[in-house]
Amino acid sequence: MATDTPTDRRRFLKILGGATACTATATTLAGCTVSGARRPGGNPARRWGMIIDLRRCVACKACVVACKNENKTPPGVAYGVFIEEERGSFPHVQKTGFFRPCMQCANSSCAQVCPTGATYHRADGIVAVDYDKCIGCRYCIAACPYGARSFDYGHDYIEESDNAYNGIPSSEYGAAYGVRKKGASPIGNVRKCTFCLHLQDEHGEYREPPACCRTCMGRAIHFGDLADPEARCVAHGEKMQELLARRAPYRLKEELGNEPAVYYLPAS
Amino acid sequence: MDASGNISPLDRTWRVVGWALLIVAAVVGLWAMAWRFREGLMVTHMTQHVPWGLWISLYIYFIGLSAGSFLLSTLIYVFGVKRFEAAGPLALLQALGCLVLGMFLIWVDLGHPERFLNVFRYWNPSSVLAWESAFYVAYAAILAVELYLVLRPSLAARAQGASRGARFYRALARGDAVLDEAWKARAARWLKWLGIVGIPVAIGVHGGTGAIFAVVKSRPSWYTGIFPIVFLVSALASGGALLTFLTAVGSGLPREKRLPLVQGLARLTVGVVALDLLLILSEVLVVFYGGIPHHVAGWHETFFGPFWWVFWFVQIGLGALVPILLVAGRRTGSSLGWLALAGFLIVFGIIGVRLNIVIPAQVEPQFATLPEAYHHLRFARGYFPSVNEWLVGLCALALGLIGYLVARRVLPLEEAEREAAAHAAEGGVS
Repeated sequence: MATDTPTDRRRFLKILGGATACTATATTLAGCTVSGARRPGGNPARRWGMIIDLRRCVACKACVVACKNENKTPPGVAYGVFIEEERGSFPHVQKTGFFRPCMQCANSSCAQVCPTGATYHRADGIVAVDYDKCIGCRYCIAACPYGARSFDYGHDYIEESDNAYNGIPSSEYGAAYGVRKKGASPIGNVRKCTFCLHLQDEHGEYREPPACCRTCMGRAIHFGDLADPEARCVAHGEKMQELLARRAPYRLKEELGNEPAVYYLPAS
Repeated sequence: MDASGNISPLDRTWRVVGWALLIVAAVVGLWAMAWRFREGLMVTHMTQHVPWGLWISLYIYFIGLSAGSFLLSTLIYVFGVKRFEAAGPLALLQALGCLVLGMFLIWVDLGHPERFLNVFRYWNPSSVLAWESAFYVAYAAILAVELYLVLRPSLAARAQGASRGARFYRALARGDAVLDEAWKARAARWLKWLGIVGIPVAIGVHGGTGAIFAVVKSRPSWYTGIFPIVFLVSALASGGALLTFLTAVGSGLPREKRLPLVQGLARLTVGVVALDLLLILSEVLVVFYGGIPHHVAGWHETFFGPFWWVFWFVQIGLGALVPILLVAGRRTGSSLGWLALAGFLIVFGIIGVRLNIVIPAQVEPQFATLPEAYHHLRFARGYFPSVNEWLVGLCALALGLIGYLVARRVLPLEEAEREAAAHAAEGGVS
């Protein structure tokens, strides 16, 4: 290295300054939007959420079936699942379980990592996917802490394409994607529960509750607006905030800071 | 791998066999590609719990090889390390070739490959993957310009004469401009500046590729600040190892110049491999000491899962310990053949490293009993690549090797290497 002349130093400082400026710009840009894409959609006054009362749940799994039926999800794609756990050793055993829809996180990991912003937050808090933007990289599946996303690999229940069952379009996103066709969206996309947002009217209010909530025979799944303290469950009429206040509600993996919109009321 | 390139006394028959194998592999691989594009990702064994499989592992493998090769080239063009100068042209070619292969594999992995430009059209600044896409483009441009600058004098030399070949090289060299000392000095300055800009870009390319995983808090084995650093270090190791191997078996340099160059590269590489081991040891000790179950799960899968041997034999044994011993050994450390083997073993072992980065962390589902909640093969626990996934991976390898062998023949790499060696001998990056 040559002796430390003023020219050398100036050059070094220039490089250092340039590098710092670049890093600073990059961090600022990234820092502005770490929570993922936000786009209009739905009623901005609402924050749709779910309260699942595990004491009322009889583990019939009708919610899972209703969800499949409503969204016509193909084999291997699941929006809502019922997760069961067995505990203890015989004879002191217990089987517990819970319904797991998408948590519609306020700080969702999926929208954060989506490279195209195809997954985005609607104004009413629902996390939706724009199938036309989605490139199918599946980063969101890797990132979702709740396993709530499914890639549509292209499976069908019935292989013969002319079977009438295969001609029924999914009603999700207002039936915008029509009948399932090989190679066309939503095949090759990542799919998820949207709180059945196709059941909203033009004002962003629910004409009828999401399929899982509507079908639940124990009235264990409550659905409504979490932003309004007076809001009632769309299906059963209980006050949402009162349900939360009366019991000790919890959210799954609360420690990750995703701020889910789905609350559970403990079984015991 | 078959070294049917330029190993000097290689028997003609072996060369033919090598080419035949490569072409068969490429044809079978291309057929598998066609199958994949016809059927979509249905042909893979990826699941809803393991959405990233063999192709993503190979993608980060090739990006690592590329970034490592490029960072080594900056030793020459930025820091003026003369003993490695003759390896410069190959390092750049390797960096560009591996980048192309990496991009190819991530493209094949997309559910809608035809929409890949959406990443730029609808660029989402909160996504590491979106930033990476931008980095890859900038990085490719830097690599292409650097490689051109390094090769241009030799291209111009080949452009002499009136044959068809000469016309081709004249077009590549952009006419027969006089490339005098002044031009060379200018080119050296450009190379230096491109290298300086390239260093943060290459760190962004591979450290950033590590960050794609490191920011995923839902997979605790990925979610650690050491991850991007491990990526960079193992990238340097793999890039150095590939350069060691290719220089040992395929360089146009005479033996007496080749051996010290290969020795230097091999020693640097195993040093980096040792550093990589240290980083992994640090991470593993912290994870197991803490003992948080979902944190330990991924590493437990790596060490004791069904593919435990990939870690112990491929990654640690063949990929690290054996090469370190080979390079350190007095006899093996001064033999081109053994050093080539050491380089090859590291290049091979890093495949194990990449597989172990991508897959075990995903095998533990988000809820322990989630796989039982839905009875379908896409909800099954665990992952093993399908035949198609292997064949498409093979396709990439075969096309990469063929591309390299063709590039060696078409591009004046050997002249550039010899010139660089002579330049280094007479003492000077200006």
